[in-house]
Amino acid sequence: MAAMRYAGLLCALAMCGCVGTESSSAKNSGGTLAISTGGDPDVLIPSLVQSVQAAQMTDMIYDRLADIGDSLNIVNDKGFVPRLADHWTWAADSLSITFHINPKAKWHDGFPVRSSDVRFTVASAKDSSLGSPVTPLITNIDSVSTPDSLTAVYWFHARSPQQFYDAVYQLSIMPEHVWQSIPPASWRASDAARNPIGSGQYRFLRWIPRAAVELVADTANYRGAPKLSRLVWSIAPDFQAAVTRFLTGETDFFEQLRLENLPEVAKHPELRTKQYHALQYSFVQFNLRDPAHHDRPHPLFSNRELRRALTMATDRATIVRSVFGALALPALGPTVRAYPTTDPNLTQIPFDLPRARQILDSLGWRVSTSDSVRRRNGRPLQFTLSVPSSSKVRVQTAVILQEQLRQAGVKMDVEQLDFPVIVEKDRKRTFDATIGQWNTQPSPGAVLGSWGIGGSRASSGNNHGSYENPVFDAYVDSALASFDPAKRKAYFTSAYETIIQDAPAIWLAEPSPTVGYHSRLQLATLRPDAWWIHIPEWWIPADKRIPRDNTPQSATPPPAQPAGQKTP
Amino acid sequence: MLRYLAQRLGQAAVIVAIVAAITFALIHLAPGDPFSDMMDNPNVNESVRQTLRAQYGFDRPLPEQFVRYVNSLAHGQLGWSISNQRPVLEVLGSALPNTLLLMGVALVGSFTLGILIALIQVARRGSIIDYTLSGISLFFFSMPDFWLAILTLLTFTYWLPVFPVGGAVDPVMHEYMGLGGRFIDRLWHLALPALTLMLLASAVVARYQRAALLDVLPADYIRTARLKGLTEREILRRHALRNALLPIISLVGLSFPALLTGAFFVEKIFAWPGMGLAVMSAIGTRDYPLVVGGVIIGSIMVTFGSLLSDLLYAWADPRLRSH
Repeated sequence: MAAMRYAGLLCALAMCGCVGTESSSAKNSGGTLAISTGGDPDVLIPSLVQSVQAAQMTDMIYDRLADIGDSLNIVNDKGFVPRLADHWTWAADSLSITFHINPKAKWHDGFPVRSSDVRFTVASAKDSSLGSPVTPLITNIDSVSTPDSLTAVYWFHARSPQQFYDAVYQLSIMPEHVWQSIPPASWRASDAARNPIGSGQYRFLRWIPRAAVELVADTANYRGAPKLSRLVWSIAPDFQAAVTRFLTGETDFFEQLRLENLPEVAKHPELRTKQYHALQYSFVQFNLRDPAHHDRPHPLFSNRELRRALTMATDRATIVRSVFGALALPALGPTVRAYPTTDPNLTQIPFDLPRARQILDSLGWRVSTSDSVRRRNGRPLQFTLSVPSSSKVRVQTAVILQEQLRQAGVKMDVEQLDFPVIVEKDRKRTFDATIGQWNTQPSPGAVLGSWGIGGSRASSGNNHGSYENPVFDAYVDSALASFDPAKRKAYFTSAYETIIQDAPAIWLAEPSPTVGYHSRLQLATLRPDAWWIHIPEWWIPADKRIPRDNTPQSATPPPAQPAGQKTP
Repeated sequence: MLRYLAQRLGQAAVIVAIVAAITFALIHLAPGDPFSDMMDNPNVNESVRQTLRAQYGFDRPLPEQFVRYVNSLAHGQLGWSISNQRPVLEVLGSALPNTLLLMGVALVGSFTLGILIALIQVARRGSIIDYTLSGISLFFFSMPDFWLAILTLLTFTYWLPVFPVGGAVDPVMHEYMGLGGRFIDRLWHLALPALTLMLLASAVVARYQRAALLDVLPADYIRTARLKGLTEREILRRHALRNALLPIISLVGLSFPALLTGAFFVEKIFAWPGMGLAVMSAIGTRDYPLVVGGVIIGSIMVTFGSLLSDLLYAWADPRLRSH
């Protein structure tokens, strides 16, 4: 039957006469990578990107000055590899870094990449009218000066272990000549956003909303041509449709297989799977403030011992095994194993149901004979867990957790809500408890925003549970300020152990996503923060190519877009 | 007739306006906003969201937003889609032809198939064929549309892989095909979603048509036709069917809402880039202008379907024409 599919495809190709012949010199280059994905990119402007699809595409179209290494080191410049900057030099006081632009680097419309593009990129990202999520992450960058057209000097407010990372990781460089005439507030809506011009190894060819995005190799790129000639993201909003496209061979790659997909993949000898560590962790977050009166403590979760008892009553290993199988490990805390600063042997609150019962007894929560729910002064030990109905994994987790807590005499109601409703409840802090997940960056510093005092007290902060412990903040601050890797790790270990023992959340799972791919694809390393970053090194051996690998590569670059913007 | 038409168009405009106003209020009152999703990123703080809310005017009071929206409607604009970063009219304009194609093929196919099934059932009434077809019709009639869509998808793309897995065209190869190839590719992709909708709608048509045919069979003119010596097949085709078609004409109009709703689910499951897929995605992302725009276009389609059905009915039944 699969042959019928290809027969149809070949028939259609024959009608357009585009089945080409293989050049013997192109053994390792050429071919098409078709990726199954669940949605359109939100926007193809690097400093505005939110969705993972957009991040994948913009990372292929645009380049940074330098890229973080696979080890994810963020201290100084160790491990960073040159991109648009072919080398860099540090000032003696470390308050500035001079980047030397590769003179061969060109934009996809033929203009050379200049230092003024770098200055423009940083200045625009700092412009509050752009509404960029990057803005708060580059506050240590004061400005960029351009002594000549190929030299950009970053000036920093303060010396910091991760100032090089801040300078290069957060921003891909954008062409000033394309964007300068468009007010930042109108960037998202501009034509230029739909026809991006970058300097990366792939250039943009087309975006058909709700259908596909196609990039083609930039064969004249200053870093050399990538091995695959064409990348196509095939969009199917329904998960089942997206995975079926991969299973039936319509696409070559699927980025996040679920546990239930693995047996199906195993039935196809031509398909492979590969697991990697991602920068994600999930948790049950307790609200430490009263959802109805934020100036008061939560009647249950403000009590540290009660939170610890609930953590002890939770068999996290069983939850992870049941929900994720081999696709996740129990979370260590508000961190991930891929960070060089994470000690995988962090002391945890153990699963100990009898001890949890003892603690609850000692707190005055006694099991009622009528319904087996604990009560204190007539009030049941009961709370509501909010979960997004769209997340099958979180709903399954909630159901298992509900049963585990029931055995400790705790009544947990599960409230399934639409995702935007969950976000609103988080933001307004009107929840009892919620299952959340953070997708973090290579810098562990984001933990302060999510769990630190600043993130709790600022009305716009992301510490929705309002956990506050100055000791935790102090350890994280010390870690972030330390240049010595050993000290850095030691401070972070102390910080994590502090928050783990305070139990503002039950640390659930650290997913290790599994990608599915066709065996004809030869993959490179899947980097934890961005599995796609090495796609230009992926290849398909000549003897394993199929008709879609031999489509003629379009040589027509999109037109330059300095004008023609639209505004909302 | 013209007066009747004007009256119906006026009624349709009022219905569309009420539906649009209710949808506007409901979607804006629902928790969250178009920028809720970005708050799932620990690096994004509330100030970024507030900047964007202000840029799009979502920080203004709801009545003011409504007045501004009505004003843009009066200027022929349906607003700006936040998730697509294009005018709503442009987004729906590119999606609507796909939905109309899907609905059109499903409508024609389902009525043809439904009438054919009913004719077979009536010709063989009381037989095993009649009962079997009734059972099959009932099966599809009671099947939820999204469930049938998933079942069809898995059956014909995975277990029996003869059709592609969704989309309106092959996203990887379509642009590299010739004209003929593109046409075949389009048909090949249309087959499954259209078949799903067709199966759902034809079950309804078959049941209605069978009942209508059974209603007219005892009529005097049928008895007369039999006495004239016409065969049962000729009686069914030339006399019974023509007279039993009137209720089915009503069904054309009534099918529009059901087909449109069905198309919404089918489009999502088959990744068919039509209006349903656009609006379903917009609901999830709280893209207010696109949701309201989609509802306006949808309600226009439904009211016009109903009007069309009334006009067809009047055309087909001489007794109504005089009124």
